[in-house]
Amino acid sequence: MSLSNILEDWSKYRKTREDGGFHDYEHMWGMAIDLNKCIGCNACSVACYAENNLAVVGREKFSKGQGMHWMRIERYWDEPDLGEGRVSEFNQHGANFLPMNCQQCNAATCEPVCPVAATYHTPDGLNAQVYNRCIGSRYCSNNCPYRLRFFNFYSYYEDSWPAPLEMQLNPDLSVRDKGVMEKCTFCVQRIRTAKDKAKMENRQVQDGEAMTACAQTCPTSAIVFGDLLKHFNPDADVVETQVTNMWRTHQVELGRSSQNKQNPELRGYRVFEGLNTDPCIMFLERVREV
Amino acid sequence: MFNTLQLPSGHITHCGARFVNRFLAPSLFLLFLLGLMIFSGIVLAEGTVPNAVPPVGTHNGDDVEQPIEFPHNTHADVNKINCMYCHTYARRSKVAGIPPTSKCMGCHSVIATDKPRIKKLTEYWENKEPPPWRKVHDVPDYVHFTHEKHLKRFVFDNEGMEVENVSEVCAFCHGEVKKMTVAHKVKPLTMGFCRRCHEANKGPFDCWKCHK
Repeated sequence: MSLSNILEDWSKYRKTREDGGFHDYEHMWGMAIDLNKCIGCNACSVACYAENNLAVVGREKFSKGQGMHWMRIERYWDEPDLGEGRVSEFNQHGANFLPMNCQQCNAATCEPVCPVAATYHTPDGLNAQVYNRCIGSRYCSNNCPYRLRFFNFYSYYEDSWPAPLEMQLNPDLSVRDKGVMEKCTFCVQRIRTAKDKAKMENRQVQDGEAMTACAQTCPTSAIVFGDLLKHFNPDADVVETQVTNMWRTHQVELGRSSQNKQNPELRGYRVFEGLNTDPCIMFLERVREV
Repeated sequence: MFNTLQLPSGHITHCGARFVNRFLAPSLFLLFLLGLMIFSGIVLAEGTVPNAVPPVGTHNGDDVEQPIEFPHNTHADVNKINCMYCHTYARRSKVAGIPPTSKCMGCHSVIATDKPRIKKLTEYWENKEPPPWRKVHDVPDYVHFTHEKHLKRFVFDNEGMEVENVSEVCAFCHGEVKKMTVAHKVKPLTMGFCRRCHEANKGPFDCWKCHK
């Protein structure tokens, strides 16, 4: 393991990027978020708080941008005004929601800048964060184009869960201390449990067995989570999942800096594809004139 | 014996002789013991656990005071009770588990009822409260360790391995508990200890496999 291995893994993807770049991956966890289904109810965000022991920082620190929400709903308005000083009669209508959690980029910008290699790519295609190794330089957060890394500026655990509330903490996850960077892990504890269970029964991980908290909670099933490896590596010994099907239907490929949008049926895109970060989360939204 | 050594006289030598007496002799003896433990551990394990390289390393843990001085040697060594008879969750879950008092009473309502420890146990049983056992082997909260997968690899999926010899596999990380009375920590259970064994036995090597 250690530094040399991490750097090797990183460069391996760079070299084999045109061919997919993950032929020896065990899994490649990915997501598809249908923005036409998203109603912006924030249930995913709440579920993430409950599942991942996220600290509640309070209004004051939140307004300084120190909120610890690994899953956030970004809100955009369709028609704020109609020009010429006229405001739309329905200016409270036309909100668009964009759920944003860590995009688990294959060519993640946060990974090569970490001075202690606390963030690296796992053989599951996850962008991992090792809390014990993190020294809190915050370089990764500054290099993340999505602003989806969150830093523990204070010992939030002291105030976040007063007396009986610490009983609700998830024991499958550590509670992060001051000076540590954290981010969405695709609920790695659930993935780990599903993989352990499958291995104990000598079988593959089934579709829907590993399920993130946000995907499980979404009332409109806008978030679909699963193993993507079959899409990019048809010879891989993994099951065909729903999310694989969605990526294939919308012809979204890795290694591209933009997706085919000529056909209105193809709605898939990824955020900031032009930066060549190769995220593992596909959003579904039709391109339209606003 | 060191007093008979021919040493130049003077203040410094006095200290030197004392140093030899106080520190060198016990440490030499400890080293010898350590070597003996490592040697015997490897020999025993290699003899009975096929397809496995036992982890290397020893550690002298503190004594843990238990409510009842449970004699592991009487149960596991003299009477040859399998570790998994009492620690039944080892093959099914993350933790090996401490047996409920009902499991103790299953035998001890008839066996050795006149012994003082059993009387103490019966007292707990009649008061309907569990003995406050204390944990001896504990890994930090940020470590994900499952007993079931390790038992699967080294016992149940291990060709030529007899389930009767499971204590040899347990001894990889817990030491020879069947020779102890109250369990005592003799292995370091540090990350390096885990890592070396994973390296030797080709276990998974990803940070997120064990760290959470």
